[in-house]
Amino acid sequence: MPTRTLYAALNPTLSPTQLDVAGDLLTLLRDTTTEPRPDIQLEALTLSVAADLPVLLWGEPGIGKTAALTQLADALELPLTTVIASVHEPSDFSGLPVIGDDPAEQGVPMAPPDWAVRLVRAGKGLLFLDELSTAPPAVQAALLRLVLERRIGALRLPPGVRIVAAANPRSSAADGWELSPPLANRFVHLQWTHDHEVVVRGLGGTWPRATLPRLDPEKLPEAVDFARRAVCGLLTGRPKLVHQLPGNETRRGGAWPSPRSWEMAISLIAFATAAGSSREVLSLLVRGTVGDGPGLELLACVDRMDLPDPEIFLADPTAGELPERGDLRQAVLDGVVAAVRNRPDRARWDAAWALLVRALETGAPDLVVVPATTLASIRREDWDVPASIERLAGVVSLSHRADLAQARAAAVTGTTGKGGR
Amino acid sequence: MNTRAAVNAPDGAGAVNTASTRAPAPPPPTLDRDKLFAARLFAARVRPYLATALFALHTVESRHVPTMAVDRHWRCYVSPGFVDRMSVEDLAGVWVHEVSHLLRDHHGRSDRVARERGLTGPGERLRMNIAADFEINDDAYGDGLVTPAGAIRPETLGLPAGNLMEDYLRWFQLGPRTQELAWLDCGSGADGLDREWDLGADGAHGLSEQQRDAVRFRVAQGITGRPGSAPSGWRRWAEEAFHPPQPWRQLLGAAIRSAVSAPGAGEDYVYGRPSRRSVSLPGVVLPSLRRRPPRVCVVIDTSGSVSDAELGSALLEVAAISRAVGGRRDLVTVVPCDAAARVAQPLCRAEGIELLGGGGTDLRTGFAKALRTQPPPDAVVVLTDGQTRWPDTRPSCRTVVGLFPRRYETGEYAEDNPDYVPDTPPDWARVVEIGSAPIAR
Repeated sequence: MPTRTLYAALNPTLSPTQLDVAGDLLTLLRDTTTEPRPDIQLEALTLSVAADLPVLLWGEPGIGKTAALTQLADALELPLTTVIASVHEPSDFSGLPVIGDDPAEQGVPMAPPDWAVRLVRAGKGLLFLDELSTAPPAVQAALLRLVLERRIGALRLPPGVRIVAAANPRSSAADGWELSPPLANRFVHLQWTHDHEVVVRGLGGTWPRATLPRLDPEKLPEAVDFARRAVCGLLTGRPKLVHQLPGNETRRGGAWPSPRSWEMAISLIAFATAAGSSREVLSLLVRGTVGDGPGLELLACVDRMDLPDPEIFLADPTAGELPERGDLRQAVLDGVVAAVRNRPDRARWDAAWALLVRALETGAPDLVVVPATTLASIRREDWDVPASIERLAGVVSLSHRADLAQARAAAVTGTTGKGGR
Repeated sequence: MNTRAAVNAPDGAGAVNTASTRAPAPPPPTLDRDKLFAARLFAARVRPYLATALFALHTVESRHVPTMAVDRHWRCYVSPGFVDRMSVEDLAGVWVHEVSHLLRDHHGRSDRVARERGLTGPGERLRMNIAADFEINDDAYGDGLVTPAGAIRPETLGLPAGNLMEDYLRWFQLGPRTQELAWLDCGSGADGLDREWDLGADGAHGLSEQQRDAVRFRVAQGITGRPGSAPSGWRRWAEEAFHPPQPWRQLLGAAIRSAVSAPGAGEDYVYGRPSRRSVSLPGVVLPSLRRRPPRVCVVIDTSGSVSDAELGSALLEVAAISRAVGGRRDLVTVVPCDAAARVAQPLCRAEGIELLGGGGTDLRTGFAKALRTQPPPDAVVVLTDGQTRWPDTRPSCRTVVGLFPRRYETGEYAEDNPDYVPDTPPDWARVVEIGSAPIAR
């Protein structure tokens, strides 16, 4: 007990009072260490704050949203200002009208509250709006201007100020108001959950220390290009996804797609790419910005962008890497066959056969059946069957075996084979 | 065999392991990959909407697994002996069965149920595995897919088919009747309990959480895109996989609360009277918080298509919520309505509200009646099954619709007009679906 001995050394004649002993005990209790641990929630939060997008943390009360914010403010070296939205009046965010000597001449100035003045004077900071969903509608309307235009009364928040808000989900907010869709659309929604293992280890004295993502200056142009291609690629094919006001009661007050949130998605993808973040982080960010359904479609689109280009394989069947995962591998093989169908030519056809043989030798044979059948149907009369096709004989027997089993099963279940009604 | 014993030990079931006792010991069979993959091809052909998920599974040959098992990272462990014994068509059924565990997130749901109900130990996990199998097997087979030998169905224990794992779990205990089910083991992907053969999160070829979501999403999209070919159980899964229905009580409460407390109805800032802070801030104009108890009018669809039980539960909720919001029960009135609206009654007589009616529905009269009540309501709450016509114009106050969902099976009303779908509630109303049980992902 170092504190105790120190105390005793300094005050040899005094016996410690009860309060001093309690102080020693508190010091011991607060004596915790940290360990590095990847934390995708914190990484997503850091990236959104870095991208200068307002973040909304959804989480049950008491699971460490404020603690995470404190850690983030420390890491970014920003002073933290906490404002509990639900105990303020709308005028605290839109400015308090102060009547001067001659309102007709000078107008009525909207005076900002002291925390805003201090924030502006500091020039940078992390503004934390707590209890957002329990604020009355008029307060939320006033917050809309703060979040969107970064204005409080006559003051304008400097660019160095970042905004993070927190809200309790509907199930635990006893008398909460709904977050209105316009306000919801301005935030990146992150679900804040606690990790059982982290909490138990933390209570045991070791809290996690997240390593925050660092942006790689060399990757910036590439990241912007990638983000724009991903979002535009998706929206070109799915115009309906551009703007979808939530019609469903369950999705009100959450993330939903609009041109504004797609723009936010682009910057988040660019930031995540430049930071080299994992797909999990990207998934949290994208789904928190445009909603689950559109977010997942976008991620699927990004996955497809990662697949190798069919033309690489058609130029040289031995080049490029075939994906290990079955469904992706089949997507690549289908893509190659489709490319041959689009521009049929003897050399491309042969190259596709060679690729199928390679796929058969390195992975599951059932994936090759459908592409092989399709490829065979593209054949022109003057094209000779390549020698390599012999090695695909196993595939034919596999397909035949499945056909036989299917016929037997159809006889048992009483349907006509090929399924479908 | 050790694994069997480990799983069975707590509940005392004997090691009835058909897999290990029957397998011929001298020549250890090699995995017949062609047979296994022919079965997968067959499964993908008869269940095209599951093809993505089937192909995403990474197969691992394992001699520790009694049959076939999956882990939560989408690896499929296969016993060579098991493949040897089963026919191709049986194996196809097993493929579909195993992938269903993963698509339906049985491991995640098992963990949640275990937490919520405080179920611990391998015996409980075995029970979850059995319940999950019931959920899958009651509608996975048929239509070109044979039921694999040894597949258990809820009827084995005298339970009704078509329910969810969470329900089945309440209805049976391990005992003499489940003895022969004890050999069953679909791996950690089915019940969330790690097995000794699992390669774990760090092992090769596992799918990350995001990749798993992506695969499930693609399967769900395939089903909702072409709903005709998938059985109803899968269609329901696809609809709810990424948008699980929320607890309707809380939603209805939130909708009514927001309707009666929005500006103009209940509580908000007004400049009519000085704020309590004005005293300390001379020269500053401040709004003050005023509360006016809202009037709520509940229009109830009493046509024959709505059951008494549904109405009763919903009406109780509305009464409780509006009491909590308004504080005064005399501000809540009730209008029963079928084809014609009845007399509006104050809720202070709620113990004996007569819900007259039973014919067809035309809620427009109900709306008119509700809006004509004096003084006019601040919010209208409508409880209906939606098989009605809606007013053309937006009413003068906020509207919340509590909708009893009706599922239409294909072909039910297709005789005259295959495109007929009842009108959906209009855009200006906030709609809450009532009574749909939350299905966890």
